[in-house]
Amino acid sequence: MIPLISLTVFVPLLAALLLLALPKSTSKTAHVIGIGASALAFLLSLGIWARGVVPGGFAQVEEVSWIDAIGAAYRVGVDGLSLPLILLTTLLFLLSFIFQAKSGDRARSFVVLMLMLETASIGTFAALDGLLFYVFFEVSLVSMYFMIAGWGGPERQRAALMFFLYTLLGSLPLLLAILGMFLASDPYSFDMRLWIDNPPLVGAGAMLALVAMLFTFAVKIPAFPVHTWLPAAHVQAPTVGSVILAGVMLKFGTYGLVRFALQMTPEAFRTAGVVVLAFGVVSAIYGAFVALAQSDLKRMIAYTSVNHMGYVVIGVAVAAMATDPAMRAVALDGATLQMISHGLVTGALFFLVGMLKERGGTYDMASYGGLLKVTPVLGWSFILMAFASLGLPGLAHFPAEFQIFLATLNIAPWGVVSIIAIVVVAALYLRAIGAVFMGAPNEKWLKMPDLDRREAIVIMPLIALTILIGIAPAWLLNMIHTTTAALGF
Amino acid sequence: MSRDISFLLPELIVMVTVALMLLGEMLRLPRLVLGIGLAGLALATWQSAQQIGLDTTVFGGTYRIEYLAVWSKLIILPATALSLLLARAELAGTPREGSVYSLMMLVTIGALMLSGSGDMMLLVLGLVLTGLGSFALVAYPDDDAATEASMKFLVFGSVAGAVMTYGLTFWFAGVGSTLFTPLSGIAEKPLLAAAGLVALLIGMGYKAALVPFHFWAPDAYQGAPVSVAAYMSVITKIAALFAFAQVFKELPVSTGWQWAMAVVAAATMTYGYLAALVQSQLVRLLAYSSVAQSGYFVLGILAVGKGTLGVDALVLFGAAYALMNIGAFTIVLLAGRDLSALDGLARRAPMLALALVVFLLSLAGIPPLFGFFGKFLLLAAALEAGFLWLVVIAILNSVLALAVYLRMVVPMFKPAKEAAPIEKNPVATLVWGSTMLLTLGLGLLATLFTG
Repeated sequence: MIPLISLTVFVPLLAALLLLALPKSTSKTAHVIGIGASALAFLLSLGIWARGVVPGGFAQVEEVSWIDAIGAAYRVGVDGLSLPLILLTTLLFLLSFIFQAKSGDRARSFVVLMLMLETASIGTFAALDGLLFYVFFEVSLVSMYFMIAGWGGPERQRAALMFFLYTLLGSLPLLLAILGMFLASDPYSFDMRLWIDNPPLVGAGAMLALVAMLFTFAVKIPAFPVHTWLPAAHVQAPTVGSVILAGVMLKFGTYGLVRFALQMTPEAFRTAGVVVLAFGVVSAIYGAFVALAQSDLKRMIAYTSVNHMGYVVIGVAVAAMATDPAMRAVALDGATLQMISHGLVTGALFFLVGMLKERGGTYDMASYGGLLKVTPVLGWSFILMAFASLGLPGLAHFPAEFQIFLATLNIAPWGVVSIIAIVVVAALYLRAIGAVFMGAPNEKWLKMPDLDRREAIVIMPLIALTILIGIAPAWLLNMIHTTTAALGF
Repeated sequence: MSRDISFLLPELIVMVTVALMLLGEMLRLPRLVLGIGLAGLALATWQSAQQIGLDTTVFGGTYRIEYLAVWSKLIILPATALSLLLARAELAGTPREGSVYSLMMLVTIGALMLSGSGDMMLLVLGLVLTGLGSFALVAYPDDDAATEASMKFLVFGSVAGAVMTYGLTFWFAGVGSTLFTPLSGIAEKPLLAAAGLVALLIGMGYKAALVPFHFWAPDAYQGAPVSVAAYMSVITKIAALFAFAQVFKELPVSTGWQWAMAVVAAATMTYGYLAALVQSQLVRLLAYSSVAQSGYFVLGILAVGKGTLGVDALVLFGAAYALMNIGAFTIVLLAGRDLSALDGLARRAPMLALALVVFLLSLAGIPPLFGFFGKFLLLAAALEAGFLWLVVIAILNSVLALAVYLRMVVPMFKPAKEAAPIEKNPVATLVWGSTMLLTLGLGLLATLFTG
C-alpha cells in the first residue's frame, strides 16, 4: 500500500526543501514548483478520497514509531470529518499558488513559506497523535507570521506580531490539555484514537481540559470575545494569506472543537454545552452586526467569518447536548458541511476582493461603483459568492445552515435567535454589491480590465463547487455522515 | 580501584588532554592546543557513549555513572568542542589564545564533577573548579569592562561558594556523611535540612544563574568574549542544574525542596524574560534569556524523584539548549553586539538570519524545533509532579519569551541599511551550520535522548 496520506502531507515540504536547495532559482521556477507540488498533493488527496472512510474510527491509518518512551508516534489517518477538510485544503492551496503565479516579489521565499504552511495544514487534519497534532498546529503559525510580516500591508509588522503572540497564547492551553490527557492515559500515550475511544479525563479534570481547549479553539475559530486578532491579520495579510487563513486555518479551530473537545471530553462538553451554544449565538450575531458597520470590503468579509464560524460552534454545541444520535448526526453534518462551504465561499470572496484591490488599489467600497458593467465576470462572480455567503438556497451554505438550525430547533430552540444574523448578512452584502457593482460606473474605473484567464481558473472551480454542494450535497454529506452517524458517546 | 578507574575513562581522557594542551600553550602553538582539545573531546565523547545504560557509582558512591551523568557528558563534551571552535573564530591571533582553550577544558572537568556528583565534597570541588577557570576566562580581553565583570563575578562566586560550603556542613551534621544517599534520613531534622537546602540553593543557584542569584550573569557575559559567554551560559549552567537533580534524587520531598525550587523557577522564568524584554545589547538580552531558560530546567528537576519523565526532560532539553544557545551566540558574534546590528540582516546575510530565526524560535519553544520537545517534556514532568500552577506560569512565560525573541527577529527583516559587510568566518560557519541542522532535525530523533 502506498502511504497516500503521508505523501500528501509531505510532498509540499519536500518541494520546499527542493526549492531551497536549488541555487539561484528564478521566480518562474519557484512558481512552477509551487503549482506542481500543490497539484500533486491535490491529486494524492483525491486518491485518499477514492480509498474512502469507514464508519466508526479512522481509515487508512499510517503509523511509525517516534518517541517510544512517552508513547508518541507518527500516526495519521482520516475519517469523514478530516477527509473533506484535507480535500478543501489541497484545493485552496493549489488555487492560491495559481493566483500567486505572476507575483515576482521574493517569489522563492513566499513559495517556500506557502509549501511549509500546506504541509502543516494537511498534517493538522490528518494527525492522530496528540504531540504530532500540536506540532503541525503550531508550525502553521510560524509560516503565517512570516507571510504577513514579509508580504502584508503597511501595518504588517504590528499585525504579524499581534497574530503570532495572540494565537500562541491561544494555543498553549491546548498544550496543557494534551499533557493532561497524556498523563491520565495508562500507559502514557499520545494516541488520539485511545483518547477518543476511552476519554482519559473524567470529572473536574475533564472540565478543566475542556475549558483550556475551548479557549484555544475559540481563539482560532475565532469566536467572540477572542476574535480581535482576525480583522487586523486579514487586512494586513496578502490576498493568498487571507484565503488560507480564512479558508483553512480557521478550520483548525472548528475541527479541534469536534475532534478534541467533543470527542475527548464528551461528558464535560455536554454539561457545558449551553455555555458554548451561547458563545456561538453571540458570535454569529455579533460578527454579522460588526461586518455591517465596515466600509472596507476585506474587513467586512473577515467579520462575516466570525458570523459563519459562529454557526459551526452552534452546531457542535447542539451536537454535544443532543441525546438522540440521529439529531446529533444532523447537527455535526451541518457543522462539518458549513466548514467546507465557508472555505469555498469565503476563499473565493477573498480572492475576488484581492483581484479588485490589484485593479483599484483600495478595499474601500465607496470608491468603486457600477463595476458590473465594466467587469461583468468579476462582478457576477462576486454577486454569486455573496449570495452563497448569505445562505441563499441552491448554494453551498444553505444545506449546512439548514441542518444546523434544524438540530438547534430540535434541541435548544432559543438558539435559533441567531437566524436574525442571516438577515443582517443579507443586508450587508446587498449594500456592498450596490456600492461596488451597481449604479453609474465611476469615471476612474472605466478602463478596468475584467478577470484574465489565470484569475478565472482560480475562481471557476470554487463557483462550480459552491453550486454543486448547494444543489446536490449528497456526495459530500454521505462521506461526513459515515463518521457522524457512528459516533459513540 | 581498577574497576573505578575504568569507569572514569572519559574524565581521565579530558584531564590528560588538559595537560597536553597546557604543554602546547607553553610552546605558543594555539592551533595545536585546539587540535589536541578537539581530539581529546572526541575521544572522551566516544568513551562516554559506551557508558549509556550503566547505572553504578565509583569511589564509594561519591561519583555517579548513571543516566543523567552519562548524558551530561554526552552534552557537555560536544558543547565544549563547539565552544572551543567558537573561541577560535573569535579570538584567533590574540595573545595567549591557547590559554582560553585550556581553561575552557579545565572548567569542563569541574562541570563533569558537578553533574555526576554523589557527594557534597565533590559538589564543592566542582563549584570551585568551574569558578576559578571562569573568572580568568571572563577577564581574558584585559580591558576595563572585562576586568570589572570578572571582579564582580569573583566576589559573587566566592561568597556564594563559601556560603554553600558552610551550609552543607549542616547536612553532614544531620546524617553523619557527605554522601547524598543518606540524605533520605534528614527529614527528621527539619532545621538542619532547611539550612543545607538554603545553602545549596545559593551555591548551585548562583552557578545556574537562578533568580535571585543571577546578578553576576549579564555583567559577566557582557564583559567576557562572546565565545566565553556562550560557553558559560551552556556548560556550567547545565552542570549546576544536573547537580541539583543529583541531590534532589535523594532528598526527601518532606524537606520542602520542591516548593522552594518551584518558587525559584517561577521567579527565574518571569524575571529573566521581563528583564530581557528591555535590553538593547544582544549579549545581555541572551544572558537574561538564559537566566529564564534555567527556570524551565527546574520544571524537570521537580520530577526527578519519581518516574523517568523528569530526567528524560532534563537530558532532552539540556541537549537542545546547548545547541540553540551556542548557535544564537555565534550569530551575535558574527553580526555584532548591539540590537541595531541585526537591522536588515535578512537581506545582507540571509543564511545567518535564517539560522538566528531557527535558534530563537527554538529557544521560544516553537515546534517542530528541538527546543520545543525539551520544553514539552519539561512541562509534562512538572505536571506529573503535581505543579499545575507552575506549568501555567511557564506557559504564560512562553508567550513573553516569544515577544523577547521576536524583538530580535523583526529588525532582521527591515530594509537593509549601510552596514559593514559580515566577514566570512569558516570556523563560525561550521558552528552555526551544524547547530542549526541539529536544532532543525533532532526533534525527529528525540527518542535517542530518552531512557
